[in-house]
Amino acid sequence: MLLVRAIIRPEKKDEVLAELAKAGFNAATVVDVVGRGKQKGIKIGGIVYDEIPKALLMIATRDEYKEDIVSVILRAAKTSEKGAFGDGKIFISAIDEAYTISTGAKGL
Amino acid sequence: MKEIIAVVRMNKTNDTKKALVKAGAAGFTAFKVMGRGKLVDDESVILDRKNKLLALAGDDERDTAVLIDGFLTGERLFPRRLFTVLAHDEDVEEIVNAIIAANRTDNNVGDGKIFVLPVLDAVRVRTGETGESAV
Repeated sequence: MLLVRAIIRPEKKDEVLAELAKAGFNAATVVDVVGRGKQKGIKIGGIVYDEIPKALLMIATRDEYKEDIVSVILRAAKTSEKGAFGDGKIFISAIDEAYTISTGAKGL
Repeated sequence: MKEIIAVVRMNKTNDTKKALVKAGAAGFTAFKVMGRGKLVDDESVILDRKNKLLALAGDDERDTAVLIDGFLTGERLFPRRLFTVLAHDEDVEEIVNAIIAANRTDNNVGDGKIFVLPVLDAVRVRTGETGESAV
């Protein structure tokens, strides 16, 4: 099992979640976060904004769906054809075990 | 070392905190998140709760049924509390069982999920010690 963490633009959140649901991945946890990337934030005039609001999506999935989820997020979270700085990042880490609380069952 | 991520109901935050203390893992980080789970395929598991919520709503409130449906079937995002707990490998089972016991309800769906992730290293800021002893 894998945990996919995607940091995306907050205004793209609803679109990405809708696309994920359409592709059959309904479950997700969403957190509002602030952060900056490699570009060290945005400089507008003399002011540097280095705490840019983003949305963090956390999606637990079986290994075989990794490519599907990543491609859906890549497609839906991108602004314009070429994409732009600030569109976000996707991180994938391993999950050893998962439990459903209501049944106590192991697995997703 | 493992990181235990538990997504639980908002009103179970205190119960979860107590359960963690009892399980010997008093340290944790918690924050508010929004989320949704798997779609509910079988309407019958949420029927009881839907009727109960509909009875609470006034007659003049339009779209209540739609709203409740959205929440119960899992199409909408709803608030949850996310706990992350760092634990030694041998304590994971006890902590997971404690969280499950504290958060189980009779609502059939929506009690949350627990994920156990491997952690490669940890550092205690105060002393600089690393690895198992930093947990």
